[in-house]
Amino acid sequence: MVKDKALEELFLAQTPHFDDNVDFIARLTKRLDAVEYVKQHQEATLRRYKLAMVAAFIVGIVSGAVTMAFVLSMPADVPLFTLSVESSILLWIAENSRLIATTAIALLMSFGIMSIISNVQDILALRHKSIHIIETYGN
Amino acid sequence: MTREDFISQVEREQESLRGFLLALCCGNKNDADDLAQDTLVKAYLSSAGYQDKGRFRSWLFKIAHNTFLNHKASLRTTESIDEARTLVSNAAADDSFEHQDLYLALRTLPPKERSAITLFYLSEYSIREIATITDTSEDAVKKQLSRGRDRLREQLKY
Repeated sequence: MVKDKALEELFLAQTPHFDDNVDFIARLTKRLDAVEYVKQHQEATLRRYKLAMVAAFIVGIVSGAVTMAFVLSMPADVPLFTLSVESSILLWIAENSRLIATTAIALLMSFGIMSIISNVQDILALRHKSIHIIETYGN
Repeated sequence: MTREDFISQVEREQESLRGFLLALCCGNKNDADDLAQDTLVKAYLSSAGYQDKGRFRSWLFKIAHNTFLNHKASLRTTESIDEARTLVSNAAADDSFEHQDLYLALRTLPPKERSAITLFYLSEYSIREIATITDTSEDAVKKQLSRGRDRLREQLKY
């Protein structure tokens, strides 16, 4: 495509010259410092959150497993606790206390794992969102 | 790319980048410099993935072009008011703008045409390079250049 000479000359004549280059770079350096600070702070916070989540996960699994092992190691024909009340429901609970305790612990552990996974997903989403904000707005 | 490398490359290219954005912003230096800063922060954040050695300027211009289009899109609702205000201020500041006519004529072009025309005539990029920077086909760039040139001719009456 052939250039329009008149237009080319007009553009060449208006080529701007900037006398504040040093100020511009100083402003940019300040902004980059701010971006670096936010990025580092954010990464440290996310690292702490992740560590807390992993610790909670491990503690949950270990304590759940220990409690479950303890419950399951009890003699099968002896209930975990006895209730001195004459009620068919409470008697049934006392008789099946071992099974009930195991189920309750398993449910609690499942719920804990699900909430930890959900928290990790939230943290990752937050990270993507903040990276997007930094890229969009620069600071 | 380290931060020092990035800054030293920017120091070399900043005038051309600011000039390009100044033309896109039709002489509004504050807007152009803000967009240039945004562009450079974005470039810095993605500089870890920059591998296209020797094409730093094109890469910067590509980010600048997208930043400018995003900026225009975000201003769409208030643009007519802003434009009217800038036109008044431009008229009042005629003496401080050496090339007022060209900037006013550029203002009549849609952002993509303005970008193509500026890259072709001011930054002296080829049609293929402009297509890469603006992420369009060469045919589309040719059309934008042709339409933009006709409009500028009409506005500038030369």
